[in-house]
Amino acid sequence: MSRELPDGTIRTEHVWKRFKADQQRMLLRDKVEAVSRRLRGLRGEDWRWALRDINLHIEPGEAVGLIGSNGSGKSTLLKMLTRVMYPYAGDIDVRGRIGALIEIRAGIHPDLTGRENIYLFGALLGLKRREVAGRFDDIVEFARLNDAIDRQVKFYSSGMQMRLGFAVAAYLEPHVLLVDEVLAVGDAVFQQRCLDRMREVLDQGTTLVFVSHDLPAVESICTRGIWLDRGTVRVDAGIRDAMAGYRDSIEAQSEAGARTGEPLQLLKHEVRGVGRDSLLTDEPMVVDLFLGGDYRGDATLHLGVSEGTASPIFQISHEIRLDGADRKVTCTIPRLPLPRGRYTLWAGVYSIGRTDGGTLMSWHSAGQFDVFGPMLDTPPRAVVLAAPVFVPHHWGD
Amino acid sequence: MGGRNAQVAEVRAQAGAAVAEGPAPGTVFRRRLRPGQVARELWGARELVRALAERDLRARYKQAVLGFAWAVLTPLALCAIFTLVFHRAVKIDTGTAPYALFAYVGLIVWQFFSNTMNQGALSLANNLSLLNKVYCPREVFPLATMLVATVDMLIGIGVLGVLFLAFWTVPAATAAWALPLLLIQFTFTYGVALVLSIAVVYLRDVRHLLPIITQMGVFATPVAYPLSQIPQRLQEIYVAFNPLGAVIEGYRRALLYGDAPDARLTLIAAASSLVYVVGGYLLFKKLETGIADVA
Repeated sequence: MSRELPDGTIRTEHVWKRFKADQQRMLLRDKVEAVSRRLRGLRGEDWRWALRDINLHIEPGEAVGLIGSNGSGKSTLLKMLTRVMYPYAGDIDVRGRIGALIEIRAGIHPDLTGRENIYLFGALLGLKRREVAGRFDDIVEFARLNDAIDRQVKFYSSGMQMRLGFAVAAYLEPHVLLVDEVLAVGDAVFQQRCLDRMREVLDQGTTLVFVSHDLPAVESICTRGIWLDRGTVRVDAGIRDAMAGYRDSIEAQSEAGARTGEPLQLLKHEVRGVGRDSLLTDEPMVVDLFLGGDYRGDATLHLGVSEGTASPIFQISHEIRLDGADRKVTCTIPRLPLPRGRYTLWAGVYSIGRTDGGTLMSWHSAGQFDVFGPMLDTPPRAVVLAAPVFVPHHWGD
Repeated sequence: MGGRNAQVAEVRAQAGAAVAEGPAPGTVFRRRLRPGQVARELWGARELVRALAERDLRARYKQAVLGFAWAVLTPLALCAIFTLVFHRAVKIDTGTAPYALFAYVGLIVWQFFSNTMNQGALSLANNLSLLNKVYCPREVFPLATMLVATVDMLIGIGVLGVLFLAFWTVPAATAAWALPLLLIQFTFTYGVALVLSIAVVYLRDVRHLLPIITQMGVFATPVAYPLSQIPQRLQEIYVAFNPLGAVIEGYRRALLYGDAPDARLTLIAAASSLVYVVGGYLLFKKLETGIADVA
């Protein structure tokens, strides 16, 4: 491989990684048994591919989101980029200083003070003592530790410990920043700080690889999306396309488990514009729902729109009277507040006047529809990209 | 626009997955170890070694009321027992040197070895969750435990000075020989710590071997008795397996008897300790790549 690749470049060439299929104990006597089995000509261990033939070329300054369901190999790939894990086959080349934004509570020593632990973490992450000292105040401020800094860490709350472990990593100045599920930990305020810090680092031209199940967060930061599916790259494209593909597949899986045996069924639905079949941003949208079932009485019909399964955008409801026959309900939204993209329609019906709020038709995704219209302008990276609502507006001087 | 790219990528990915059932032959990953790069990386991690050692020392100092006193008490207690058993009962002949001094010199070396071995063997296993997240040259963990043992040894050497005063003896002028012997001692000890630390990661029950090695080793090594107790013709083979024998014998000659260490035995010990450390290091580096897979 050429030496001229600039710092911040990531290259993986035909990377394969496998794990033992069965959970194994790490004991000497198990090994002895395995060897004796092999000597007797029995089959050895089973292997399972965790990653198959991964080829990635990431240029300096790119912000890449790694998405995929559990067990698709995201964390394994990230670990190999961090050089904590090594591939079975293929080559990995990451140029420049690698920083992993990770929670390293594991390394905290409870008997040491916060200050002593910060220096220890700094050393673990490859910072010089001088460098940690230079950023010390920022780190303490980021972790919101203030006067607790000289207390022993065993007297910290678990949240404080977590923030401490995280803050040091946040103040690395790497060429490549790897982030794995940071948003699963910490309160909302701290999560926001982490996202802000990531944007700050990105503005300095750092390459970012971001793994998270929080799809809106990924979408708000990344420009390129890589969807891993059972160890292979399914889609490598712009973040919106990768996201759409991934959301479709989640959709397909959740629809597979359809409900039966409820009093009401959604027989059919249609989504259209007025005078045309396609939907346009800021133009009317009409939804026709065909309900079937023999329920008699008052009920509330709920209708919602989400982007994928993850992020609901709005929800509206309407009271209807059912008389035991099939029923068509039409809803009109005069000016559709959705920008260009693909959305999911949700519906559910619940009876009125019963304290248990009896479910007539449970809240489920009915299907998807596309909205055409102008693309949202791509804002600078430090501004949120994902904006699932179109707001009618005009500018003055 | 973007949608078509996605489709193209998807088609390509699916085609790729359909063709390949395993990696192409000859692409199996092998990490190349370049000595220059390894040395540079280790040098870059010197602050980490210090920080890890400092962590252990500070933690110990905070936990135990007696703190560093334990570093002194253990060898002193053993020294007292050895004096009773070997000097009074077995009547080991130590020539002109007082037996307590004789035994204590051996105990300093043994204590250093056994501390590094016992702590070092667990140094990776105790930090697995960390090793699963952070990259750093892994050999710094056993190295840091050796640094901690070195601090203990320095305290022990201070006590040795007090013992010299108590017995109205002075170290012989040949004491300078201690320096090359120290190098052999470090090299061998680190080699053993490397092998054990990585072995415990893969085979957790190896840790149960440690007390056995420790207890047998203190008697299998000439700590309480002189190396001359071992038959002359076996000494070279013995020292090749256990360089500490020559190291302890050399210290005693240099510090207590005013002799130079036996050149032949010392050279064998030096060569052997080099084999230990190089072999241990290569094994360590080979198995290191799989730590995250088994952690």
